[in-house]
Amino acid sequence: MESMKPHIPPLKISKSNSNLSESSNDATSIPIRSYSGWGSSDMTPPLTPQNAQDTNMDQLEAPRPVFHNYLRAFYPFHPAGNVSPSTVTLPLDQGDIILVHSVHTNGWADGTLLDSGNRGWLPTNYCEAYDQLPMRPLLKALTDFWDIIRGNFGSSLKDFGNQDLMRGPIAGVRFLLEKSECLTRESALVRRFEGLRRIRKALLSDLSSLVKTAKKFQEIANGLPSEDEVEAILDEMLLKAFKIVTRGVRFLDVWNEEVGLGRTIAEMDGPNESSGQYSMPPTPASETFNLGENEGPDRSASRMLESRMDHSRMDMSRSSMRTEMVDPRPASVATKRVSVSHRMSVSGPSTAIVAQNLASERLGTTYDAFLGVLGSFLGFHMQSRSSMELVVTTQQAVEACKQLLNVIEVVCEHGTHRSAFLEQARELMWEKLSELVHAARDVFRPAQMPEDDLFFMVDEGKRLVGAATDCVRAAGNCLAKARLVLEQIGDLELDPEHFEEERQELSGVASPQDEPQTPVEEERQELSRLPPPPLQIPSTPALTDATTPSSFQSLPANSPANITAISSLPNSAILPTHLENISSFSSTDSNYRESHPKSDMSESFGRGITSNGSSFTYNSHARDSEMSGVSQTSTRATSPDIGGSFQGSFKVHSLKESLSYSTLAEENEETEANILEKTFAHELIYKEGSVMGGSLRALIEKLTAHQSTPDAMFVSTFYLTFRLFATPLEFAEALAERFDYIGETPHAAGPVRLRVYNIFKGWLESHWRHDRDNTALEFIVDFASTRLMADLPTAGMRLLDLAGKVSSVGGPLVPRLISSMGKTNTSIAQYIHPDTPLPPPILGKKEHHLLKQWKNGEASITILDFDPLELARQLTIKESRIFCSILPEELLNTEWTPKSGSLAVNVRAMSTLSTDLAHLVADSILYLEEPKKRAATIKHWVKIANKCLELNNYDSLMAIICSLNSSMISRLKKTWDIVSQKTKTVLEQLCGIVDVSRNYAVLRQRLQNHVPPCLPFVGTYLTDLTFVDHGNQSLRTLSTHDSEMTVINFDKHMKTARIISELQRFQIPYRLTEVPELQVWMQNEFVRVRSNGEITTQTFYRRSLVLEPREASRSANNLQSQSEPMPSMLDNAKDKFDFLSWTNHPKAKSVPTHG
Amino acid sequence: MRPQREYHIVVLGAGGVGKSCLTAQFVQNVWIESYDPTIEDSYRKQIEVDGRQCILEILDTAGTEQFTAMRELYMKQGQGFLLVFSITSMSSLNELSELREQIIRIKDDENVPIVIVGNKSDLEEDRAVPRARAFGLSQKWGNAPYYETSARRRANVNEVFVDLCRQIIRKDSEAAKSSNDPNRKREGPNRKRDNRRPKNRRGPCVIL
Repeated sequence: MESMKPHIPPLKISKSNSNLSESSNDATSIPIRSYSGWGSSDMTPPLTPQNAQDTNMDQLEAPRPVFHNYLRAFYPFHPAGNVSPSTVTLPLDQGDIILVHSVHTNGWADGTLLDSGNRGWLPTNYCEAYDQLPMRPLLKALTDFWDIIRGNFGSSLKDFGNQDLMRGPIAGVRFLLEKSECLTRESALVRRFEGLRRIRKALLSDLSSLVKTAKKFQEIANGLPSEDEVEAILDEMLLKAFKIVTRGVRFLDVWNEEVGLGRTIAEMDGPNESSGQYSMPPTPASETFNLGENEGPDRSASRMLESRMDHSRMDMSRSSMRTEMVDPRPASVATKRVSVSHRMSVSGPSTAIVAQNLASERLGTTYDAFLGVLGSFLGFHMQSRSSMELVVTTQQAVEACKQLLNVIEVVCEHGTHRSAFLEQARELMWEKLSELVHAARDVFRPAQMPEDDLFFMVDEGKRLVGAATDCVRAAGNCLAKARLVLEQIGDLELDPEHFEEERQELSGVASPQDEPQTPVEEERQELSRLPPPPLQIPSTPALTDATTPSSFQSLPANSPANITAISSLPNSAILPTHLENISSFSSTDSNYRESHPKSDMSESFGRGITSNGSSFTYNSHARDSEMSGVSQTSTRATSPDIGGSFQGSFKVHSLKESLSYSTLAEENEETEANILEKTFAHELIYKEGSVMGGSLRALIEKLTAHQSTPDAMFVSTFYLTFRLFATPLEFAEALAERFDYIGETPHAAGPVRLRVYNIFKGWLESHWRHDRDNTALEFIVDFASTRLMADLPTAGMRLLDLAGKVSSVGGPLVPRLISSMGKTNTSIAQYIHPDTPLPPPILGKKEHHLLKQWKNGEASITILDFDPLELARQLTIKESRIFCSILPEELLNTEWTPKSGSLAVNVRAMSTLSTDLAHLVADSILYLEEPKKRAATIKHWVKIANKCLELNNYDSLMAIICSLNSSMISRLKKTWDIVSQKTKTVLEQLCGIVDVSRNYAVLRQRLQNHVPPCLPFVGTYLTDLTFVDHGNQSLRTLSTHDSEMTVINFDKHMKTARIISELQRFQIPYRLTEVPELQVWMQNEFVRVRSNGEITTQTFYRRSLVLEPREASRSANNLQSQSEPMPSMLDNAKDKFDFLSWTNHPKAKSVPTHG
Repeated sequence: MRPQREYHIVVLGAGGVGKSCLTAQFVQNVWIESYDPTIEDSYRKQIEVDGRQCILEILDTAGTEQFTAMRELYMKQGQGFLLVFSITSMSSLNELSELREQIIRIKDDENVPIVIVGNKSDLEEDRAVPRARAFGLSQKWGNAPYYETSARRRANVNEVFVDLCRQIIRKDSEAAKSSNDPNRKREGPNRKRDNRRPKNRRGPCVIL
C-alpha cells in the first residue's frame, strides 16, 4: 500500500478536529464560482437525516472480522449521483466486483473497482464476498498481480521481465474455462449457447490484450525505461488484468444463466419481497441529472459519458441482462449479510493529518501532481497506441492542469499589481491546456472498428504529445512566476471558497493539501460526513430514506466540506472518540459523492496510510485470511469495463459503441492457443516474484518457458541441485515429458522444444556428473534418437554425439569451473592486462642460498628468514590453488563433513591447510625458548597476517589470527610484554576483521561486492550451507483450489546455489609468482606440524605451560578435591599437576611427551 | 540492572549430530517459511527467562568442525555452552570431553555454564548411547544438566537454551554479589573460586 500510483484515488486525510455536536449542512452558504459554467448555481446539500445511529458502533466491535479479497456489489451505490470514476467513495453498480485492500471498522472498505480501476471507499454492506470456485485461480492471480505492481514496485521490472506473472492470469482463465467445460471453441456448450460463445471470445481477447501489453512491457523493460513509462504500462497491465477478471465474472454469470446451474438460479428467481425496488432507483438518478447538463463543458461531459455508458450498457445487453439489472436482490444475499458484517477491522484511534493550506505549498503540490500526471501521460503516449487508459490519463492530465491553474489564479488575485507577468504565463498555460484538450479530442475521435480498443491516430497522437509537452513547459513557467509573486506578496492562506471553486470546476480535483482548515465550516460538516454504519443499512436500502442513496439531490457534494468529510472517513480521529456525539451518524451516505481525480490523490493517500496505519487492520497483505464459500447469488452480468474508466473532458459520445463492440471482438487466435496451452504453472509457488517452490514438472516448465529466456540463476540452480530433489533419470524424463506435451500447443512448441534440447545439451556438456548421472544416459540416448530426432534432427544428432562423448570421457566435456554460474552473474576480477608482468618475488640471494642449504639438510630456516609479503604471497598461492579447485558439488548436502566420505576433497584440503597454518604459527612461537625470540616471531606473523589482508586472503588471515589469539599463545604474558604496542595495535585491528560475533558481520561486509582475486574464509560458506540445508524443509505445501499438494522447496535450493555462486565468484587465481623452493619448505613445515596428530593442541598447550608456567597468585585450596583435570586457576604446583592431567586424558594417554 | 541482556551461547559438537537443526529450530520464527543464515540476525533470538528478557546470540560451528583451530575463537566469545551429541553415536559423546576441557582451559573457569544435549531423541530405535552413560558424564561434570532433544520434532529445543541462559544469569548475579572483584565480567581469569565452589549446579536431567 505504500506506493500509490496516480491511478488510484487515494483516501483523503484531513484534520478533523471538529466539534461533532454541530450540524452539517452549511455548505449551502458557500458561494460558488466557476470557470466553466458547470455548477455555477448554488447547491443545497442534502439535509443530514437526524436519526443517529451510534448504537451501531457497539455492534461493530463485536463480530470477528473475515477479510475477503473480492466483493461484489449487490446494491448500487451512487452516493452523489455523480458517478465520476475518480470519487473517493466508490460508486457501485449492482454486480460490480471490487478488489478489497482494507476494511475499516465502520464497515467501509478501501477497494478498487475492477470495472474502472478506480479506488475508493465503499460500504461493505452493499456487497458480498465474491469467491466462486471456478474463479479462484484467476482472482488469486489478480491479487498477486496487484501486490507485485502496487506493493513492491521496485522489483516489478524484474518480475515482469520473465513473464511469470502472466502465467497466473492465463492459468486462471484456463481453469475457469476448464471448470465450465468451455475450454475449446468446439466444446458443446460453447457451440450451443451464443451468449457464452461471445463472452468467452471477449474473455480471450481481453487476455490476449494483457499478454500483448506484457510483451511490450518486456521489450520496454529490456531497454532503459523511464519511471513514467514503466509506471504507465504497469497501470495499463493492471487495468487489463482487472478487465479479465470482470469478464471472467461475467462469463460465469452468463454461464450460470445459460447453462444453468439450475439450483442457484431457481433460488434467485424465488424471492420477490424486494422485487422492483431496484428496478428504478428511487433516487433522482444520475442520468436524470446529467441529461440536463449535457451541454456543459468538460466537467459535465464526464457525467454525460457515464450516464450514456449506463444506457449503452443497458441497450447493448441482451434482454436477460436487462432483467437482471432490475432484478431483486438475490435471495441468498440476505443470508450473506452476516458475512458482510464480519468484514470489519478493529481499529484504534487514529490521528489525522493537519492539512496545511498555504498557497506556496499548494502550489508545490499541485505542480507536483500536475507533473506526475503529465509525465505518465507522456510516457503513455510513447508506447501505447490505443487504449482506454490513455483516455483516462489524458483526462487526468487536463484536470491536473486545471488545478494548477486554479492555484495560480488565486495567487494572481492576491498579487494584482505585481502579477501581470504571471497573468501572462497563466494565459499561455491556459492556451496550451486548451490545445491539449483539443488534441486529445481529435485523437480519440472514435472509429467504428470492431477492435478491442479505441482507434488511435498516430498523427494526432504526435500533436497530443506536443501539446502536453507545451503544457508542461508553460506550467513550469507559471510556477516560477507564481513563486516569484508569492515571494513578493508573502505567502497566503487559501480560503475555502477557492477550493470550492476548484472542485466545482475541476470535478473535484483535490490535492493533499487542499482541505480548507477554516475550522467552523469544517467542524460543522464533519458530522454529516461520517460514513453510514453499514450494518445499519437495512436489507433493502430503499426502505430507509436516510440510509439510501436516494436522499441526495445532485451536486452539492462538491462543496469542500464534503470532500473533507469523505477523505477523513476511515481515518478520522473523531470516529473512535466522538461516537457518542454523533447524532446524524448513519444517514449520510448521500453525501459521499465527491469526486477526486485519482492523480492528485496519490500523495495524500500514501501519507494517510502511513500516519494512520493503525486504522487498517486488514490490509492487502492479509490476503491469506479465509475465504468463505459464497453461493452464487448475483447473476447480473457486470457491465462492460468501459464505463468507469471514462470521464469528462471529451465528448466521446460514440466511443461507447466501439468499445462495447470490443466485447464482441473477433476471437484472438493467439490467445485461443495460449489458453489451450497445457501448463503446470499453478503448481508453482511464488513470493515476491521469485519461485519458492513447485512440482518437478512445473519447475521444468519454468526452466523451459517459451516466452522468455530463463533466468541464469534459475538454470544454474537447476543444474547444480536437481540431484537433490530428483534422480537424474527423473529429471531427464520430466524434460522429455515437457518436450511431448508442449506439442499440443503448436505456437509454443518450437521454442520450448529447443529449450528442452538446450537444457539437455548444457547438462551433458558442462554439468554431467559421472558418478550420478550415468543412469540417465540410456534414456537420453533413446530420447535423442527418437523423439528429438523426429522433430529437430540436427539437435538430435548433436545430443547423440554429446551422449557418446560423455560415456567415453571421464570428466565433464567442458570444465565445470569455466561454466560455473558464479562467473556469469557477479562482478568479475579487476582487469589486469595479460602482459602486465607478475610482481617479482622478494627473495634475495641470501634467501635462495638458505633454501638450498635447507634442501641439502645443511641449515634450518624459520619464517623470520623471509619477507612477510613473500610468505603471504606463497601462502596465498598455495591456498588459492586449492580454493579454485573446489567443485560446486563438494558444497552440496554437507558433503564435506567427515561422514560423507571423500567427495569434497578440496573443501577438506582447505580446512586441513587452514588448521596446518594455525598449528605452524603456534609451533614456530612455542618452540623458541627465549621470550624475545617468541616476540619477534609473533611480530613477524602479525606482519604476514597483515600482508594476507592486503592480498585479500581472508582464509590465511583467519588461521593466523586464530592461532595468535589462542589460549596457548595469548597466555604467554612475558612474551607479549615484549611485543611492541604497534604490533599489538595491528593485531587488534586484524582481530576486528575476523570477529565471529554477529554472524561474521565485519567479514561479510567486507566480502560483499569484493572484487576478486580474493580468498574468502571458507568456513562461513560451510556454515551458511549447513544452515540452509538444515534450517529449511525440502518440501513445501501448496494449496490449490481444492486440495493441497507437496512440492519441491526450490527456494532452499536457490539459497544453496546462491551461496555456492558467491563462493565461485572468488574462484579466480591470483597473478603471483610461485617460488617452488619456498613452497617446498612451507609444505614440509605443514607436514611436520600435522604429524603431531590430533593431540597437537594439547601438546602446544603443555608446551606453553612449560615455557611460561602459571603465576603463583592463586590458591590451591581445591587441589585435593579434584579428581579431574583442573587446568586453570591454580598455582604453580597445580600447574604441574595440571600438566600431567592432560596426559591422563584417554586420547593422550600414550603421549606423555613434551618439549 | 538493565532488563534486557545479551548473552553469547556457543553450540559445539561433532559434525552430523544435528547442532545446526537445533540452532535453526530455536532461532527460527515458526512463521518464517524460509531461513536465511547469511544475515546478521540469523542467530539472534530474544527469549524470556524467569520474567527477564534476554537476547541470545548463538554461535554455531556447524559445518566448520574440521577447522579445529577456529574453535577457540568461538569459545572465547561464549558465556554458555551447549555440548551436543547424537544419541545414535557413541563417538559423538566421546568427543565432548575434549571440547569441555578446551572450554574450561579457555574460559579459565571450571564452572562455566554448560548443558549436555543428546539430540535425535526421535531415533530411539537407533540409540547407541545409553542414558546412564550420558548421566554419568553429567555427574562427572559437576551435574551439568542433561537433556535429550529432538530438533526434528522440536522437542526440548527451547528448554536447553532457557536452562543454559538461566545458568548464565545465575552466574552473572553471583559475580555481581562478589562484586568487589573487579574482574567479575565474563572471562575474568582471576576470579576467586571460593564463592562458587560450594554452589554445585543443580541441573536437572530432563528426558522427554
